[in-house]
Amino acid sequence: MFTTGSKLLLGSTALAVVFAIVYGVTAQGTLGVFGLLSAAVALGLIAGINIYSGDANVSVDDTAAATVAAAARQAPTGSPWPVVGVAGIALVMIGLVTTSMVTVIGLVAILAAVIEWMLQAWSEHGSADEAYNGEIRARLANPLEMPILATIFAAIVILGFSRIMLALSKVGTVVAFSVIAAVVLFIAFLMAAKTAVASRTLGGVVAIGVIALVAGGAVAAVSGERDMHVIETTAALAERGQCGTEPSEADKKASQTVAAKSNQAATVTLDADGSLSVSVPGFSPSAQSVTLPRSNPNNVLFRNQSDHERRLVIDLGPSGDSESKTLCTALVEPGAVQLLTVMFDKPSFAVEGGHRFTVPGVDTAVLKVVVP
Amino acid sequence: MTFHERTNVQTSEPMTSVASVSSDQISRSRRPVLALGAVIGAGVVASSCAAQAPQDTWSPAGENAQMIHNLQWPIFAVAGIVGLIVFAAVGYAVWKFRDRGQPIPEQTHGKPALEIALTILPAVILAVIAVPTVSTIFALADTTDTECVVNVTGQQWWWEYDYPIADDGSICGFMPTAGNASPIITSGQMVLPVGTKVLVRGTSRDVIHSYWIPRLNGKKDMVPGRVHYLRLETDTPGIYAGQCTEFCGLSHANMRMEVIALERADFQKWLDNELKPYQAPETAAAKAGETVFIQQCARCHQINGLVDPINGELVVSAPDQFVWSGAAPNLTNLMMRNTFAGATWDLLSPQCRARVWEAAPEEFGERFLEGVTPECLNTVDLREWLRNSPAKKPMYADAEMLEVTDGKTRGMPYLALSEDQIDLLIAYLLERK
Repeated sequence: MFTTGSKLLLGSTALAVVFAIVYGVTAQGTLGVFGLLSAAVALGLIAGINIYSGDANVSVDDTAAATVAAAARQAPTGSPWPVVGVAGIALVMIGLVTTSMVTVIGLVAILAAVIEWMLQAWSEHGSADEAYNGEIRARLANPLEMPILATIFAAIVILGFSRIMLALSKVGTVVAFSVIAAVVLFIAFLMAAKTAVASRTLGGVVAIGVIALVAGGAVAAVSGERDMHVIETTAALAERGQCGTEPSEADKKASQTVAAKSNQAATVTLDADGSLSVSVPGFSPSAQSVTLPRSNPNNVLFRNQSDHERRLVIDLGPSGDSESKTLCTALVEPGAVQLLTVMFDKPSFAVEGGHRFTVPGVDTAVLKVVVP
Repeated sequence: MTFHERTNVQTSEPMTSVASVSSDQISRSRRPVLALGAVIGAGVVASSCAAQAPQDTWSPAGENAQMIHNLQWPIFAVAGIVGLIVFAAVGYAVWKFRDRGQPIPEQTHGKPALEIALTILPAVILAVIAVPTVSTIFALADTTDTECVVNVTGQQWWWEYDYPIADDGSICGFMPTAGNASPIITSGQMVLPVGTKVLVRGTSRDVIHSYWIPRLNGKKDMVPGRVHYLRLETDTPGIYAGQCTEFCGLSHANMRMEVIALERADFQKWLDNELKPYQAPETAAAKAGETVFIQQCARCHQINGLVDPINGELVVSAPDQFVWSGAAPNLTNLMMRNTFAGATWDLLSPQCRARVWEAAPEEFGERFLEGVTPECLNTVDLREWLRNSPAKKPMYADAEMLEVTDGKTRGMPYLALSEDQIDLLIAYLLERK
């Protein structure tokens, strides 16, 4: 009555129930218990179907096959999966004392070994015909194996290339990959020129390429990434207290336009006469103050109508442990605009001197900010 | 006989006699069902009638809502007539050609004249409707005639209002009697002068909310990082209720708002009262309550002008360090409001609330400006709120929920106040008006 497959599934069902109870008592996590009980129900259902269908094993319907079939008499064929499983267990042990990544690789190896070993054992008992057994194994396993193998292959290629690219200098990367691309093109040309290419030759070339890629990637990963140049931002500028008139790297490639769809709380304009004015819908343009809410990002558009490159600066006052926090735009070209997003932690009355927009280099450009 | 068999049956038997008999039998058997359906339908329609409907979209109380009203009536009429015609045609077809066992009639495909007519007719109706619709949309988006600006900021689950100061020192076109203006910031109830074109500049601090005072204008979504504009105006003093209309989390249903419209003279009084300096507590209980407030409440709630007696410095709240939205209601003149906790509960007892809500327009301002007196205070809800606010208004008080917000609360946390502390706090807050 109980076939090999149904025993496995019933055992798994029982195990899932036990795990659910143990997890529920120890971790007291309802989600985990729910998941494990769901797994138990699913496994139980499959076990029932398995028992009903006789494990889809021809020997159930054809009992003679079980005794006369060659597969029934032959010893099981050699399999690498027990070794992979043991290696996985070893990796899990090593990972427990080193790093979690090794444990994950070990668990994946154990999972792969269990599944593949079960598939092999199941297919070997499919019939007396070895070719047929191989075919049913392929039909079941290939849809699972092929995408996984393709993903692993793609990951190796991407990882290998990316490590090499990150390790080489900018010029070195261009030269190296130009050469690699030329070699690939040359080999492909040679193969295309031949009327027939043996699959063994093709496989060998691909294998050499993959080995070279993996080796190159490993060497590059060990040697580490090249020094990356980080483009400076206005935030770094403000942190160093350099929101002044001097141009910096942060100003070099700063955008001088703002998308039409941007949504600003106010538009602050530096006029040609050196004064700052603010425009807010519903209010007449003001040269004195603008009211902006607290604890909320305010997008302020800075429009430079003067003849020189200028930046808008605001001192937000003390914030957390720091004594004062400054924000600024990059240098804005004459006639250009830029957005400054400001968030006030404290109301104006709590900051000595209040909040003010200023423009370095233009002493007359001061605009009071009221934060209720 | 299956459907497919029936489609191929050709019968010479006249259908009328069969149809008439079965129709009669069916109608007799279905009469009780139809009667019950009619009663339920009438009940559903009748349930939409309410004697007191403060959020009725069909009773506009201002120019903007009136514009919408003028648009929705004819469109409702046109849509209603079209709907009736469609339902009648469908009903007729369903009844006339119902299944009586007859063979499926000959099928016809395509009737160009009918199809063109049924395309052109709706297009013409929509084109006609589009003209006043687009015109109204543009009129409602106009910001050039603004006389008063109010910044409105939504957060879970209350609305904050602040009144910017114009260059001439006025607020909403009113000059403070005492001289210099400072920003007014309040919550729950937005106070406006009647006959004034108000522009709401709205945004949100956390998630999308939607501001809607049905009797004054349509709804407007308030999206974080964006500023949205909404016109409000009314000529009649009174309270106009609203409700957040964009699902915004656990207490979305408890996120309400009210607009208080005051006569211009009354608005001036309200404005002057809001701008008056901090009044030190008078009674002993209130003084002790001030200490409790500084210790328990002031880290999030601001009361303008409150000075810490220990160090003599202004007490500055820091809700950005404790609350996910970064804000908590300013309680400077709490007892000049009629509501608390996102305008969900009344600060006034039911009798006193009715006295304000049901006041005639000419008496409304005076009654509203009385604020909350000790006799009128709704101590039941306020005490429950102070005792355990997350129990009264769901606000993610679960510690596990706070992990995603870095320990910051959404709304007011449980403060474990003793009954004595609550008594003192109420005594102190009662003087905040």
